[in-house]
Amino acid sequence: MVGKNCFAIASDRRLGVQLQTVATDFQKIYNIHDKLFIGLSGLATDAQTLYQRLVFRYKLYQLREERNMKPETFASLVSAILYEKRFGPYFCQPVIAGLADEDKPFICTMDSIGANARELAKDFVVAGRASESLYGACESMFKPDMDSEELFETISQALLSAVDRDC
Amino acid sequence: MMTIDFSGLEPLASLCVIKEHDEISKPLSFELPITGDFDGFQREAVQMVKPAKGTTTLAFIFKEGVMVAADSRASMGGYISSQSVKKIIEINPYMLGTMAGGAADCQFWHRNLGVKCRLHELANKRRISVTGASKLLANILYSYRGMGLSVGTMIAGWDEKGPGLYYVDSEGGRLKGTRFSVGSGSPYAYGVLDSGYHYDMSVEEAAELARRAIYHATFRDGASGGVASVYHVGPNGWTKLSGDDVGELHYKYYPVETEVVEQEMAELSVA
Repeated sequence: MVGKNCFAIASDRRLGVQLQTVATDFQKIYNIHDKLFIGLSGLATDAQTLYQRLVFRYKLYQLREERNMKPETFASLVSAILYEKRFGPYFCQPVIAGLADEDKPFICTMDSIGANARELAKDFVVAGRASESLYGACESMFKPDMDSEELFETISQALLSAVDRDC
Repeated sequence: MMTIDFSGLEPLASLCVIKEHDEISKPLSFELPITGDFDGFQREAVQMVKPAKGTTTLAFIFKEGVMVAADSRASMGGYISSQSVKKIIEINPYMLGTMAGGAADCQFWHRNLGVKCRLHELANKRRISVTGASKLLANILYSYRGMGLSVGTMIAGWDEKGPGLYYVDSEGGRLKGTRFSVGSGSPYAYGVLDSGYHYDMSVEEAAELARRAIYHATFRDGASGGVASVYHVGPNGWTKLSGDDVGELHYKYYPVETEVVEQEMAELSVA
């Protein structure tokens, strides 16, 4: 979710196999650099592998360019890596959030083969099993230009209310 | 020419002489749907109801009677349609039924069972036994076998022989027993129930065991949750003992330890 010169990214921490809960502390949001986060929903094994691949590519970039990657560039990188597996895809849906030049917040999501919805997302993006519930919750709770505390409250409430309606 | 005599299979009401067309005394019948392919329709109906039985219910007999407990979540695939469904159905003041499977099926047939039990009481001037009540329900469900009803219920009550517990399902099964758990969360509930069970428990201990078993099932099973209700059936009938939100039970059984969450995330990004 986007706020005034800030963004928030949230996820649940359940790892489940269909109906059975296996873990309650599974990490789904990863830190690429201090102004860039990626959240990966979907198949846990694909999410972990994809994250490791992305970190590898990102670190090479950082060594060559001697600077941090911009979020827009990172989104293109994720999209390309996902499309490489077009005929045997990673079963996960990424949510990318970062601060671009002059701390302008940037968010985007894409499907599991890398289709971008970058231009449309100026307020919030959602992914996961409860994504329909999340769209409803975010749509009703979102206001533009919230400060960081209000944004934190809003994103938490939206996530909690959507997750409460998902088995 | 000999014809097969079906009169024994027909419901009792049709053998009585019906003077006026009474709604109550008309034999129970359901219209069949008008479709070209009835077998295909039946298959679809079974698939739709999907006897997955996303729920957790349990009941057990102990020294002081029968303890019955259930969760309260109703799910439609992955969507939670309700967190406050009454899964323990009060058939009459001394008999309880549990709901697992199709909600409409369970509610309707339990109410129908209640009607039949009352009619038996009036006709015979004594209460129906748990054996008799469960047999009535089992026979009805058997006659609808293969038509897509989804019912996995336990009939618990106290009659002249003492506490009684039967498991009845829509495939026509009927089992007498002392410990049952039904639903998608039943393996988890059985684990807790079987390891903590003694016949000589007090009512409080049995209630705590039942509550714990339901809580553990709701924790692990995604299709169970909401409120854990616990009922006790004693010689004077049933009483509702408690209805606790399982989220609150979690914090009661496992108080929060301060976890350094930020530390975990930082470690993983460096690696």
